[in-house]
Parts: sequence; C-alpha cells; structure tokens
Amino acid sequence: MNPQSLLPSVPEFLAILPEISLVILIVAVLAYDRILKPAERRRVGLLAAWGSIVILLITVGLWVLFREPEPNRSLVESLMWGGMIRNDLITLIFRVMFLVAVAIVSLISLDVPALQRGEYFALLLSATIGFSLMAAGSDMIMLFLAIETASISLYILTGFLTDDRRSTEAGIKYFVYGAFASAIMLYGLSLVYGITAQTNIYVIASLVAQSGAIPPEINGLFLLATVMIVAGFGFKISAVPFHFWTPDAYEGAPAPVTAFVSTASKAAGFAVTIRVFAAGALGAPNFDSEWWAMLVAITIVTMTLGNILAIFQSNIKRMLAYSSIAQAGYTLIGLVALTPDGSGAAMFYLLMYVFTNVAAFGVVVLVSRETGSDDMQDFYGLSRRAPYLALAMLFALLSLGGIPPTAGFIGKFFIFKAAVDAGLWWLALIGVLNAFIGLYYYLSVVKYMYLYRSDDEEERIPVSRAASVALALSVLGIIYLGIAAGPAFEWTRQAGAAFFPFSG
Amino acid sequence: MLTFMTFFPLIGVALILLLKPFNRESDELIKRIATGTSIVTFILSLVVLGMYNRADPGLQLVGRAVWIDVLNIQYYMAVDGLSILMVLLTTLISMLATAGSWTGIEHQVKQYFVFMLLLEAGMLGVFLAQDLFLFYIFWEFTLVPMYFLIGIWGGARRVYASIKFFLYTMAGSLLMLLAILYMGLSNDTFAVPELVAGRSAFAAAQNWLFLGFAIAFAIKVPLFPFHSWLPDAHTEAPTAGSIILAGVLLKMGTYGFMRFNLPLFPEASVTFAPTIAVLAIIGIIYGAIVSFAQTDVKRLVAYSSVSHLGFVMLGIFSLNNLGLQGAILQGVNHGLSTGALFYLVGVIYEKRHTREMSDFGGIWRAMPIFSALTLIITLSSMGLPGLNGFVGEFTILMGSMGSEALGPYPWIYTAFATSGVILAAIYLLWMFQRVFMGPLDNPENQALRDVNWGQLAIILSFLVFIVWIGIAPSGYFALMDETVAALVRSIGSAVVAMP
Amino acid sequence: MIPLSWYLIVSAALFCIGLFGVFARRNAVAILMAIELMLNAVNINLLAFWRYRTPTEPIGLAWSIFVLALAAAEAAVGLALVISIYRERDTVIAEELDTLKY
Repeated sequence: MNPQSLLPSVPEFLAILPEISLVILIVAVLAYDRILKPAERRRVGLLAAWGSIVILLITVGLWVLFREPEPNRSLVESLMWGGMIRNDLITLIFRVMFLVAVAIVSLISLDVPALQRGEYFALLLSATIGFSLMAAGSDMIMLFLAIETASISLYILTGFLTDDRRSTEAGIKYFVYGAFASAIMLYGLSLVYGITAQTNIYVIASLVAQSGAIPPEINGLFLLATVMIVAGFGFKISAVPFHFWTPDAYEGAPAPVTAFVSTASKAAGFAVTIRVFAAGALGAPNFDSEWWAMLVAITIVTMTLGNILAIFQSNIKRMLAYSSIAQAGYTLIGLVALTPDGSGAAMFYLLMYVFTNVAAFGVVVLVSRETGSDDMQDFYGLSRRAPYLALAMLFALLSLGGIPPTAGFIGKFFIFKAAVDAGLWWLALIGVLNAFIGLYYYLSVVKYMYLYRSDDEEERIPVSRAASVALALSVLGIIYLGIAAGPAFEWTRQAGAAFFPFSG
Repeated sequence: MLTFMTFFPLIGVALILLLKPFNRESDELIKRIATGTSIVTFILSLVVLGMYNRADPGLQLVGRAVWIDVLNIQYYMAVDGLSILMVLLTTLISMLATAGSWTGIEHQVKQYFVFMLLLEAGMLGVFLAQDLFLFYIFWEFTLVPMYFLIGIWGGARRVYASIKFFLYTMAGSLLMLLAILYMGLSNDTFAVPELVAGRSAFAAAQNWLFLGFAIAFAIKVPLFPFHSWLPDAHTEAPTAGSIILAGVLLKMGTYGFMRFNLPLFPEASVTFAPTIAVLAIIGIIYGAIVSFAQTDVKRLVAYSSVSHLGFVMLGIFSLNNLGLQGAILQGVNHGLSTGALFYLVGVIYEKRHTREMSDFGGIWRAMPIFSALTLIITLSSMGLPGLNGFVGEFTILMGSMGSEALGPYPWIYTAFATSGVILAAIYLLWMFQRVFMGPLDNPENQALRDVNWGQLAIILSFLVFIVWIGIAPSGYFALMDETVAALVRSIGSAVVAMP
Repeated sequence: MIPLSWYLIVSAALFCIGLFGVFARRNAVAILMAIELMLNAVNINLLAFWRYRTPTEPIGLAWSIFVLALAAAEAAVGLALVISIYRERDTVIAEELDTLKY
C-alpha cells in the first residue's frame, strides 16, 4: 500500500468487498426485521439467504470475470491493508465455502419458528464475516479479531433458544471452553509477538527461517507459545484433546446452528491453522519441526477417538458431533502432509464436507422438528415416512463414510493420496482403518432408515420448499463433487500452493 | 459403445423415477420397464460381442477420456478376452434375475428395480474399467444396491447379513485403495496398461501390493478363510439377489485376480501361487463337507459356491493357459448353474415359504417338469460330462496338473481337487434325493403346482447355455484364447527374468 | 529500568492464577472472572513487549486495546448466558449443568 494515499486502491477494496457486502446485508436484515409484521417473519430469513447467495455470486463473479484475486500475484502483492489480510485463492475458496454454508443454513432455519428473528440471521452473517477474515487474515492481530468475531457470534447462536435448557447449557459450555481456549491462544500469540517483535505471520515466518533469529535459550518459550496456539486452533477445529465442547455444543445447539458450527466454523479454523503452519510462522514446515510431530499425534488421536466414540452414541446430533471430530482428523492428514497437494486436498475435503454435513443436519432439523427429539430412533423407517429426506440423508452418510460415487470418497482419496505422496503411507493406513470404523456407524443410520420399521410410518414429515431447495442443493453438490471433482480439485490445488510461499 | 451399454440401465432408472411426475406409476409398469431395460442391455452386450475381434489379444472398443486431469485419472473403458464373457454373463444373469423377480417382490417395488438396474450398471463398469480409480469406484458402487437388496427384501436375518456383507467387502477394498494409491503415484497414472508397462516402478513393493489386492478379491471370491460372509448373504438375500451374488458379484473377485494381480505383479503371483492354491483346495473340500451338514437348501447351494469358486481360484493360480481358460469358463458355468439353482430354490420357496429339506420329499410327483429341470442343473453343477460344469472343471484340473507354478508335484493339488468333484456329486445328489425323491407324504407338498410358462422360460434360458457350453465349449474358449495366451506369456517372461 | 522479565513473570503468574481458577472454581461467574484474569495477563505481556521490543510502533498497544474490547464483549455474552441459565434452573454451578450427557 502506498502510505501517502488515504484511499484504498481498487485491489484493496475488492479484497474486502465480500465483508463489506456482508456488513450491508446485516444492517439490511436488522432493518427489515423491524418493519416486518409477525405473520411474515420467515421473510427475514429469505432476505439473509438471498443476500448471501448474491454475495456468493459477486465473489465468484469477481474470480470468473476479472481473475480477482489474481493467482499469479507475488506474496507481497497479495498482502493487503498493510499486511493485515492476504487476498489469494485460499481466501476465495474458503469464502465460497462460508457463503454456501450460510446460505443453506439460512434456508433450513427459515421455517424453524424459534429462529425466525432478525438477530439470529444477523449473527449468522456476522459469524460469516469472522470466518471470512479468518481465512484472509495474515496478521496475528487480524486473526485474533476475526476468530473472536466469529466465536462470540457462535456462542450466542448456540445458546439462542433461551427457554430451552439444552440450548443454554450448550451455549455456556461452548462459551467457557471457547473463551478459555482463546485466552490460552492469545497468550501464545503475545509470546510470539514478544519473541519476534512482529505480528505479520509471513514476516515472522521469514524471520524464523533465518538461523539464529531466535536465540537458542528462548527456544523453549517459542515451543510453549506454539503449544498454546495449537490449543486455540485445535479448539476451533475440534481436534482431540481440545474437543470436549463439541458433543455438548452440537447436541444442545439449535440444529441449523450445529450445521453451521460443524462446517463453516471448522473450515475457518482449518484455514487459519493451515495458513499459519504451512507458512512456517511457528517453525519451518518440514518433518523435523516439533509442531509437526505434535500435529501428527493430534491427527491420529482425533481420527481414532472420534470414530470410536461415535459408535456408542444414541443421539444423532451427538453421533454427528463425534463424526465431525473424526472428519477433522482426516482433514488434518492433508495438513501434516505439508505439501501444496495435501493442503489442496484438505481444502477440497472441507468444501465437500460443507455440502455433506449441511445436508445431514438439514435432515436432522426436519426430522427432529416433527418428532421433538433427536434420538436415533426417530430415524427408524424414515425411508417410508419421508423417502426424499431419507435419500438426502443416505447421500450425506455415504459421503461421510467415503463410498463412491459421492464427494466424500473423492475427498478421502485426495487426502490419502497426498499422504502417500509425502511418504506418510502409515498415516494413510491409519486413516483407511479409521474410515472403516466410520463406515460402521454411518451404515447403522442407513440401517435404521431403510431396514428398520417404526410405528409411525404413516405420519409423513412435512418439508418446506426452502428446506427442500437447501437439501437438493447440498445433495447436488455432493454428487457433483463426487463425479466431476476435476475442476474443483484443480482449483484447491492451485490454492494449496499459495499456502507455501517460502518453499519451492 | 461400452459406455452406452454400461450406463444404459441408468436410462431405465430415470424412466422409472419419471413415472411419478407423470402419474403413470404402477408396479406393473415398473416391472416392465426394468425387465425391458435389462433385455435391451443384454442385446447391447450381444452387439458388443459382434464387434469384438477374438484374434486381437489386446484391449478393444476403447473409450477413453481425461477425467481428473491433475492426478491423471482417466475414464477408460475397454473389453478383452478376460472380460468379454463376464460382460455377457452379467447382462444375461441380470436379465434373468430381473425377469425372475416379477412375482417374488411384493413391497417397495420401485426401489427394488431401481437398485437392480443400478447394480447391473455397476457390475458392467467393474468388468470394463481399465483405470484403477474408475474400477474402484464401480467396485465400491456395487456394494450399495446389493446392501439394500439384501437388507430390505431379504430373509429373516437380513439386517445382520447385509451389514456383514458390506463391512466385510469394505474391509478388503480399503486396503486395495491404499495399494492403488501407491501404484498410481509410482507411475503417475492409474490406467492398467500403462501400469503394466511401468511395472518396474513398484516391483520392489509388489508382494505387499499383491496382498492388498488379493485380500480384497479373496473376500469377494470368497477364498477360504474369508468366506464367512457368503452363506449369510446368500441365504438371506432375495432370490434375484442370490442369483446376482453367485452369478456375477463373486466373479468380480476372480476377474480381479486375473485382470490386476497376474499382469501387475507376476513375480508375486508366482510366489503366492502355491499358498493360494492350497487355500483354494481347502475351500473346495471345506465347502463340500459343510454342504453336507446343511438342512437349508439355499444354504447348501451357498456353501457349494465356496467349493466351486475354489476350483476357479486353483485354475487361475495354475498360471497356465488351460488353468486360466478353465477358470474363466468355470466362472461362467458357476454363474449359470448356481444362479439357476438359486432361482429354482426361489421358485419353490415362493410356493412353500420354507427351504428346510425335511419339509420336502417326493416333489417329483407333484412337479415333474420342475424336478426334471432341477436334476439337469444339479448334474451340471456337479460336473457331469456333456454339461457345462464338466468342461470347466476338467480344464482346470488339466491346467493344475501341468502347472509349473505349483511346484514339482502339481498332481497333488489335482488329486485333492478331484476329490472335491466327488464330494460335490455326493452332497448334491443327496440333496436332490431328499427333496425330490421318496414318498410325497406332506399334504402341503401334494398341493404344489408345477412351474408356469414364465418360470419355465427363465429356467430354459439358463439351460440353453448350460447345455451349449457343455457340448460345444470351443466357441467360448476361442473368445479368450488370445488374451489368455498373451497374459501367460507375459507372466512367463517376467518370471524368467526373476533373479 | 525494570528488566522485561519481571513483567513477564507477573503476567505468567497472573495467567497461572487464571488457569487454576478455571479448573478449580465451580461457579460459572468465578470461571468467567478467571478467564478475565488470563486475558489481563495477555495484556501485561503485550504492553511489556511493546515497550521493550517495538517502542516506536504501537503494535502491542493497539493489540491490547483490542483485547480489552474482547474481554468486555466476552463478559457481556458470558453473563447473559449465565443469567439465562440461572433463570431456568436457579443455579450457576458448573457441575449441575448436566442435561447433556455423554
């Protein structure tokens, strides 16, 4: 940035255009909410959904029509606003994920009466701003602010149903764990700032790469800072052992919020994690660094524990919570491969996971609204009660389990391939074994839906038009990414290269 | 052409799903569309046969396109001597199975036929795919419809059987996936012919890779000791499911061995040949002995499959012309004979709702045509000369006799395998005797009516091929001659080069 | 001038008190206060580092103001959640929040 000019340049303006649009949309939603009559409450959700679709189109349109963010920009050129954010392909792809997620989540929450309030949608959108800046942020201060913007919105959303015991309890648990984790992370970040006297992660990375930049006597302190930061990031992506909040928050939160937390929030957490570690801000990205060993251990434990605990759940939301922990483990494989391909595969995985998990939770929202609980038993005989819902759930579960021809299979394939490519075939083997365990419980739900009978098979489950559009979109996404993964993967792979500005 | 044939069943699926919006949905119409689709697919496969050039050992009718550019994954379909018979078998069996479930399916008719057609598309894909990635997708995809066919329309323990089937097969497949990844990376391609040419890149790890593939296929075949899913799945599956399971799905395993294990890892194949042959023989004898102990006719036929597939495996790992040709043909034979037996069991189950042998006896008197046809098929299954089973088993035994891969005394394997033939004769005839002979003393059996025209047509179409292969097998052998010879030559040259 | 390490020791001590408080206290409000302590420790760190490491650029100073803002926002949200919990079950003791079970 030219320090003399006070006005931002066009690329700088474009770099935060989605966030600016989101702010405008929030104001519009809140204002619109004021003038609505009680009978038309669902329109506020429609506005949020349509607005985010428009912003999605703007974001993608900028890329398709003007190649903005320009992929060939050098690192320095792509750092905008004094290095606060970096506008690159990574940012773009993650923004697409968040906007897709917020649009679909808005659609499925439209017809939930307790959620038909302006604040609810405004908070969804403000969390989206936080996510978007998390993906873009390349400065510790920016990252910290973005993470907190997102987190605080999500705490409120989780406890949104104030007269529901479980929702408030989930809210406070999520809040306490979250605030605790972010305090720890913040302490770690402040130590890194103290050690390097810098806040931009790319500047820090180039500094750390010079030998002797960190005096050997404070290496231990640097490692402590790393551990603290890993704890904070691990919380966001719900990696074991920072996962304790996940089952409670997922179970208690309103189901659309759970869908949002499990997809967009997790993706944002990964965006930050991959960006910081791949850049080398906490030590060069190679297999000798301490943080790498730490992350590998976390990866293995996360996959295994998530999958094993998921088997024993009798509540569908809780089961999906543990499954999402396991899925975070697979995604981490992409990161610890430490190759552009691996990071690209992780991004692809998150992209497909947005569609998949939103579809799964969308079905849970509709079913539990009808039955009043989210017990696994509600799914008995679902294929007879609501064939299309069962079909959507089937696709989501097959995708989670990694069965072709769904997106989940391709996602796992790319991830495992990246691991084998990087020489980590043993990690891929652990991943494959875990995928097998995972199949067991995903298949159990399929079993309940298709092979079991229930007494209230005659009661149909009503599906509103907005919800069916949302589910259809997600299922189409699952199938499209499963059959024609080429372009999307090419895209994420190209972005994956941007994670590693200092190697190769 | 191959692509069109493979995905043709999906057109049927689309038609069936479109009935509802046009308010024309009725079970009758769905059955007609499904059967029609599978008949047209069979005709398409005959067209493929017409276009197939038996003098060319290589891949034919190639359809190839880039699929996922970055990883050099291709959409690559082709047919050769190893797969042409399998394709014909798939379309034939699918056609007969679809037509054969006209009466047996009473609920959720639409879903049933949709799954049948999806399954057919998946199976054709498995036999035609020449890219490992594509192959794996089809391979896994066949599990899903089969899971539902067993789980929704199966017998009393269907849920257990379907999950066991699914998880068992998946366990093997995932290891294969890792092997596929490793090989794909070593050569930067997943296309089988290129991988065969670039074998040296992964030759060092080939024993492990061989095992990765072999376990997946061995579970599918099923080779002893990986067989325990099979009796459950076969017994609990609906009739058409059993027919397809026995007729085609098991052949995916043996086909996999021939298509991937032998050409990709010839040295490892030779190394493991004796082990697998021993397991095959244990399977032959074990399957036969356990068959004796069964009281449920369907379960008996299921265990006899374990025994028969043992022959096929023995043939494959004789690693010579006769053995491989016999194995392919025996695969077809088993598909026809066992498929037909399952159909016959299904017919009688629909009438009596029991499969216990003790409930039957003297059926010959009540249903003479049915019984006579069953006798012929039973004889074919046990390998009576003049029928198809004999040709296949005899060729395999000849192959194993002259096999160099099985060590200095290959005749020992042959001797044990031959005892399997004798055992088969005993348990099959015993079964036949208990069900069809003896006094007709159960009043429920006395009321039985003989087969109707539709059922007769289906049984006769099985029979035509059974007799045809039995009398004039040379036409069938000619289809695969060149490809098998080329395969054996390539194994031979690789083994000669072995240190 | 007092060496940097003194500030860091104070901040580390404060952080540990906060950490201990989060684990030891059972009252949700007390846990909240403990978290605030941890954030204050971060602030001491940031200011000390600013003064000693980058005195010419107000990085740490600006950052610590953001942290203060965050602490305020967290307190607001946290107390709101505590109040809604208290309204419903007349307790703010962490162990008694056990509707969601493993």
